[in-house]
Amino acid sequence: MNTAAASLFDGYVAAAGLYDELLDNSGQLRAPWQKFCGLVDSLGFEEFSRRWEQAQTQLYENGMAYGVYGDDDDAEGPRPWNLDAMPLVISAGQWHNVSTALVQRARLLNLVLADLHGPNHLLIQGLLPQELVFAHPGFQRPFHGFSPPGGRYLHFYAADLGRSPSGEWWVLADRTEAPSGIGHVLENRIVLSRMLPDIFHACQVERLAPYFIALRETLASLAPNHRENPRIVLLSPGPGTPSYFEDAYLARYLGYTLVQGSDLAVRGGRVVLKTLGGLLPVDVILRRANSESCDPLELDGRGAGGPAGLLQAVRGGQVAVANALGAGLVESPVFQAFLPRLCERLLGEPLLLPNIATWWCGEEQSLSYVLSHLDELVVRRAFRRRGDELQYNRYLAQLTNDQMVDLIKSSPREFVAQERVTRSTGPVWAAGKLQRASVAFRAYLTASSDSFVVLQGALARTSTTPQPLDISILTGEGSKDTWISSDRPVSQVSLLRSQGTGIRLKRSGAELPSRVADDLFWLGRHLERADAQARLLRTVVNRLTSEISADAMLEVPAMLRALAKQGQIEPGFAVEGMRDAMPAIEQALPAAVVDETQSGSLRSTISALYSTASQVRDRLSLDSWRIIRTINSRLRSPLGSNELEVSDLPGVLDQLIISLAAFSGLVMESMTRSLGWRFLDLGRRLERALQTTCLLGSALEQQEEVPAQLLEAMLEAADSSMTYHSRYLADMQVAAVLDLLLTDETNPRGVAYQLVAIAEHVANLPRDVSQPQLDEEQRLALTLLHKVRMTDVTALAEHYSLGQWAPLGRLLEDIEEWLPRLSDAVYHRYLIHAGPSRQLSDIRPEGMS
Amino acid sequence: MRYRITHTTQYAYSEPAPVCRNEVRLTPREDTWQRCEQHRLLIKPDPADMGGRYDFFGNHVNYFSILEAHRRLNVTATSFLKVSERPQPDSDSSPSWESVRDMLREDVTTTGFANFQFAFPSPRVRTDRSLTDYAAVSFTTQRPILAAALDLTARIHHDFRYDPKATTVHTTLEEVFATRRGVCQDFAHVQIACLRGLGLAARYVSGYLRTLPPPGKPRLVGADASHAWISLYCGELGWIDFDPTNSVIPGTDHITLAWGRDYDDVCPIRGVFVGGGHHTMSVSVDVEPLADEPA
Repeated sequence: MNTAAASLFDGYVAAAGLYDELLDNSGQLRAPWQKFCGLVDSLGFEEFSRRWEQAQTQLYENGMAYGVYGDDDDAEGPRPWNLDAMPLVISAGQWHNVSTALVQRARLLNLVLADLHGPNHLLIQGLLPQELVFAHPGFQRPFHGFSPPGGRYLHFYAADLGRSPSGEWWVLADRTEAPSGIGHVLENRIVLSRMLPDIFHACQVERLAPYFIALRETLASLAPNHRENPRIVLLSPGPGTPSYFEDAYLARYLGYTLVQGSDLAVRGGRVVLKTLGGLLPVDVILRRANSESCDPLELDGRGAGGPAGLLQAVRGGQVAVANALGAGLVESPVFQAFLPRLCERLLGEPLLLPNIATWWCGEEQSLSYVLSHLDELVVRRAFRRRGDELQYNRYLAQLTNDQMVDLIKSSPREFVAQERVTRSTGPVWAAGKLQRASVAFRAYLTASSDSFVVLQGALARTSTTPQPLDISILTGEGSKDTWISSDRPVSQVSLLRSQGTGIRLKRSGAELPSRVADDLFWLGRHLERADAQARLLRTVVNRLTSEISADAMLEVPAMLRALAKQGQIEPGFAVEGMRDAMPAIEQALPAAVVDETQSGSLRSTISALYSTASQVRDRLSLDSWRIIRTINSRLRSPLGSNELEVSDLPGVLDQLIISLAAFSGLVMESMTRSLGWRFLDLGRRLERALQTTCLLGSALEQQEEVPAQLLEAMLEAADSSMTYHSRYLADMQVAAVLDLLLTDETNPRGVAYQLVAIAEHVANLPRDVSQPQLDEEQRLALTLLHKVRMTDVTALAEHYSLGQWAPLGRLLEDIEEWLPRLSDAVYHRYLIHAGPSRQLSDIRPEGMS
Repeated sequence: MRYRITHTTQYAYSEPAPVCRNEVRLTPREDTWQRCEQHRLLIKPDPADMGGRYDFFGNHVNYFSILEAHRRLNVTATSFLKVSERPQPDSDSSPSWESVRDMLREDVTTTGFANFQFAFPSPRVRTDRSLTDYAAVSFTTQRPILAAALDLTARIHHDFRYDPKATTVHTTLEEVFATRRGVCQDFAHVQIACLRGLGLAARYVSGYLRTLPPPGKPRLVGADASHAWISLYCGELGWIDFDPTNSVIPGTDHITLAWGRDYDDVCPIRGVFVGGGHHTMSVSVDVEPLADEPA
């Protein structure tokens, strides 16, 4: 067999004039790749492709959705994470040199930060122009004048790297505020090392774990109190921000509580986590939200990314924040123009790793150079603003030279120009073969004792567009795992605690953040609402699609009333006289079901369910999350012209109901019986009791006679047919149906069963046990349960058959009215602190003339 | 002059607010011409914790939290002050404005550093071509800085109409400049933008103004208002205040509370609360002149 022809790497050609990661100038494999390529070839094309297909399924199911880097710079919203099948292989020796240089750079940036937020020697002595910081919107006075523990501003730093044609490394950009992407490094590694386990081991790839161990140790060492077991939280800007997926992922990986600004508060100079059981002190905050958003009190309402008073708590030394507030200042490109000089001065040594040449237009000499060399340079905003960099760079890119000159001259301080860089190229696996792509790297560092540790790996991003115009690697389209390949066996490390270190046993307590309890409660309600809606809809659809004409079915009007009451269809369908004026229900129904804009539609319930579940994603197991994603993928209005037909609905609804049941099953079987579970289940029980009550009411009211078919349909919608028929065979009686759906405490679909569960949940919520009286929510729950228990369904059914709606109607109305009151009472006692904080209105001086 | 100043702010909520956290800048600054003999801050309901610090600009800040459900928040600051006459420099012999502008850039001392920052745009004061052009009419070549600044102050006073209904605390500088209406805060911001556009350092001063009752009428208690004006760095003469609302160089009728780059830096009361429904607020300020020596 001709081995050359069988190689996956044949046909790959390096570009002239650029550094190629895989091949050297003579077209030979570079040293660190040789073993890798040989092993991949021995796997063969087919096996490689098969494994890659499996790996991709895993990525999809884990829900890797993300806006490229999650630096808030991506306007296009989350898109699927695009991992490449080929890792990039770099020799450990080379990475060691890069690491040494990056450690120097991190130390330097830390010193610059400490000076800018402190004594300002660099400015007073003229090493940095004063204009540079005074004009910098990120130079925030509230961050000035207090020193974080150990003078450390930077605990977590990332550098974007590229390679020159000769293979030299460059720094393209610094990320010091809250660098993102490391969750993806982890995820990429997990996927690729599973896909190619044998090759991964044979290549002696350095592990990522030591980095995370260092990060955890560093964060723990910052704790001002509780030093043996500090409470560390990961402060996320929340769902709806591009990095949320990664925040949740990292929090779980590092074992920290994932919180949002509204979960925290400042009490008596300390930061606390608001939980159902009370306020728990927080020692360290791993910050993923922007500094400027972290204290709505002092930082003038730029969002509630943190608790009001955080800055004062930090000044008092009662909480540590990593990175320190204000650390993002030096990630602006303008600093790159001064770093070589600052390095000589502050560290007494030359900057080891060059950054791309940068000119700040705020200096006259630089300005004239820039204006006369615009063709060779890329103009960027001098002061980085997280959030809209990508759009702004696009705006700059489409300006003509004359427009650019005018723009720069109008406020020169706001701009820098940087040399255009070429990037190295490397192989990507696309459409079953290797292709060439531009590559950029993001390297990660974490503080460790008095220096920094570099991650033995990196996030590689690739772009197959032939001309990368900008140094921005945000526009990259693919991602790669980076293997630092050692010539020695690598040591096995794990993030798990080593055996023998003591651990205090714990059972889940009341440490649930109130906001999470609120979200779980609503998750339960949305789940149950979706289930009730889907079942009722299926009952109706089954009749509409049967061979008997719907007009001839006696139960259909009552069922339409129930659908209208749920808000699934226009109320007109439920009114006898109006129905003729409406379009045929068969035509209207499919559109109503998938109409997301209609607040009562099944689709809108599913969307609400999905968005609530995303809020508590870190509390759901991976399996649960997969089911939630599946549920959310149902009932999308189909793309293109082919509309959903009523005949499509039964299949779709069956699948949806099964998925909902699968989720409920996981909740029942896998969730510990903590407070979180209680709130979720309380929400479910409450909603189910309401839905069953509504069904009874809307089906039976206004009904002169009750045909057996209607009772049958009601039982079907309430998923109680089987039980009924096993008890009463084909004998359909109102009293028996009422008993099963209303008063039978053994029917998990009936109202009484829910009320028993609600009373039990409410009794077990944390409260002051010494107070003599029942709380309002306890009283409501017990009263309702009592009312239903005392009901004589035979008598109710008799009244009803004599045309007296009132006795049954009153009972149903009471339940419908009291359950929301109970829900409110729970909210006011346990969840109100989860509400948003607001700012007092400003008062202006009006001094008279 | 000696004064007792009582500054009361009251917030009323439609629903109870369980938590409120505040930061106030209500302690008058001290300098060569102003001494604060006594200062008291009274807060109702009682705060659960309280503290104080100095901000970046040297203003005193008090912070406190209220952790009991409340429908009203009342903050009363009472200060006893002595304000002395400042020397009135001769405006025609002051240095040229260009020399002050250039000096700011070249002064590499700690003080120079502290002054220079006020030459830059700030959150509420963006410099703008039209404002700079407006200022340039007063700041002619080599004109003494005081004479030029006084002229600018008088022009703002003349060209802008005092009209509390025309603007709110959120009105932008551009709108004020376009409509030529507003209150002291707006005029101060306009003048600061004018001066910074020329490369000069100007800061925003918050404080109080003694109001004189019409002849023969008694002084109305609590009818005064908080006031705002500006201060301009004038080289060797230091910082000199100008009040564009009244077209004067402040003397003993002006009492300084705090200064910063613009209103945002010196906002007298700032707060964040949970719950509370809607809220309304009311302010009363009383500037009472006292007999010259403490009783």
